[in-house]
Amino acid sequence: MIDVKNLIKDFTLNKKQRKEMGDKYKNTKVLRAVNDVSFECKPGRVYGLLGPNGAGKTTTLRMIATMLKPTSGSITVAGYDSVSKGQEVRSQIGFMTGQTALYDRLTPVEMAKYIADLHGMDNKTFKKRKEHLFNILDMNSFADRRIARLSTGMKQKTSIARTIIHDPQVMVFDEPTSGLDVMTSRAIVDLIRSCKEEGKTVIFSTHRMGEVNQLCDDIAIIYKGKLFYNSTLDQFKSEMTKSTFEEEFIYRVGEE
Amino acid sequence: MKFLIIAKKEIIDITRDKRTMLMMIAFPLLLMPVLIGTMMKITTSQAEKASEKEIKIAFVGQKYAPNLFDAFSNLDKLIILDQIPIDSVESYIQSEYLDAAINIDSSYQSNINNNSQAQISIVYKGTDSFGTAKERIQMVLEQFERSIIEIRMNKLNLKPNVVNAYNVEFKDVASKQERFGKLAGGWLPYVFILFGFMGAMYPALDLGSGEKERGTLETILSSPASRFDIVLGKFIVIMSAAFLTAFLALAGILIGIQQISVIPAAFLTLVNEIFTVKTIALIMTLVLPVSAFFSAALLGLSIYAKSFKEAQSIVAPLNIVIIFPAVIGTLPGIELNMITSLIPILNVSLASKDIIAGVINPIYMTEVYLSLFGFAALALYWCVRSFNKESTIFRN
Repeated sequence: MIDVKNLIKDFTLNKKQRKEMGDKYKNTKVLRAVNDVSFECKPGRVYGLLGPNGAGKTTTLRMIATMLKPTSGSITVAGYDSVSKGQEVRSQIGFMTGQTALYDRLTPVEMAKYIADLHGMDNKTFKKRKEHLFNILDMNSFADRRIARLSTGMKQKTSIARTIIHDPQVMVFDEPTSGLDVMTSRAIVDLIRSCKEEGKTVIFSTHRMGEVNQLCDDIAIIYKGKLFYNSTLDQFKSEMTKSTFEEEFIYRVGEE
Repeated sequence: MKFLIIAKKEIIDITRDKRTMLMMIAFPLLLMPVLIGTMMKITTSQAEKASEKEIKIAFVGQKYAPNLFDAFSNLDKLIILDQIPIDSVESYIQSEYLDAAINIDSSYQSNINNNSQAQISIVYKGTDSFGTAKERIQMVLEQFERSIIEIRMNKLNLKPNVVNAYNVEFKDVASKQERFGKLAGGWLPYVFILFGFMGAMYPALDLGSGEKERGTLETILSSPASRFDIVLGKFIVIMSAAFLTAFLALAGILIGIQQISVIPAAFLTLVNEIFTVKTIALIMTLVLPVSAFFSAALLGLSIYAKSFKEAQSIVAPLNIVIIFPAVIGTLPGIELNMITSLIPILNVSLASKDIIAGVINPIYMTEVYLSLFGFAALALYWCVRSFNKESTIFRN
């Protein structure tokens, strides 16, 4: 369960950053990346955070994962406050991005063991969990090969294994399929589905409307740091005035 | 204790990186002996070549000083060319066809006979690296001059000591170890400071900016490990790498010296007498905090960088910053005192010099430790702060 209340995140821009961002931000000293955002993600449901690049999706997810501190507002993950109980929050979540985020010189087993150790898993539990995951992901044939020598698909599986090795109750996916081909995207989609079936709380950000339709139970549209739609997917569909998700999204964002 | 998990993983990771291993182990262990050996060989062979070299000179005014001419013409490896036009002597030397020329004027013999000074001018080229021609000519002239003086003194019924009013005897109370330490002790810390820095550099780049580049930074930041655990785990590994590299560089030099045949036996005995386990251990106690200082500073810079490439461009110029105080430490006249013992890197250089010379002052040594551990702690504090700073860790 993730409970986000009145979340605000400001970034102080230095001169160089202001220059890089163009004339529009010439006099902006503080950029509000997330502006008074509130939502709730429930166990056994997939919550989709939709928005174009720079909308504030990654910043929101990083705050949920305690990598960034909110300027104001609060986030509760599995009952723990993200600021005062950061370590407890982190022990409950699995975080995944579009990058495989692996160490080339380790093997898939070592990679999984590293994360399991950081989560304080004992050896016996790790072995059991590893066996289970490596079997269902069909990873045994390359379990002891260096990650650098693996194919993209194998790397993706390793990345999945390391994300869920500690059996987290909350899954945070930050554009997990961006830059992936159809086959490897498929593995991620399957992962999100199985997480839902296992009753985990899942939040994922994307700008692929197809995925939203396929996976989400609840959706939110975030644009320029503000949340301006937050409901169930069914509700969204019933309110649609355009024929496709893409068109509806552009229409709604355009209205802003 | 999560930092130990991180340290363990980083050790596995960097020991599998061939480039880091090459820089950390093979490079210091093999490069230094090869470098020293090659330098010694070149110096010895050049010196041999110089003594074997046949020099060509012109003797202008042969008829005014036939005896002196004979003294030169009887010398080995010296050819007197007599076909050189007087006007062209200088240009011949300039173009290195000739090594030197001796000019005697017509008043030579009368000056010698009258107990006056005879004028002799020598033309040579100062860029001749071993100064062979000038030296050899000078040697012959001094010898010849002594014989003339002897004749003159005999004529005047004077004893040779008349011109030697003093019999000066110098007695150096500095032990061989002290002299060696003060002379050669400077470049040794220079070597291990530099290697310590290099040993820290590669792992620091990999363990800091490498995490950003691979996208693994978010993986560890979203794990239950605290930022302090992450920094500490990485720092321990980088520091160990720096320490090991510096130690191996020192070992490389000492092992290398034993293997080089051209090194005189007496020098080798002296080196073995000086570099006891105790001396090496004492030097390594300085290397430890300096490695810590380098490691924390480099890790902090590395995590600030957006990419591995940016980290490299930030860190590379620091090599010069490190070399500068290390070089100052090798200069004569710069000694360890209340002030210099507080300046990091320079104090390591100067203290090592005194340790090697066996004259280290315990008060200064304490100051050096305090300074080094202080700077290392500051660097580590800054590094932890950088890891906690959102604008640094997510700069991109």
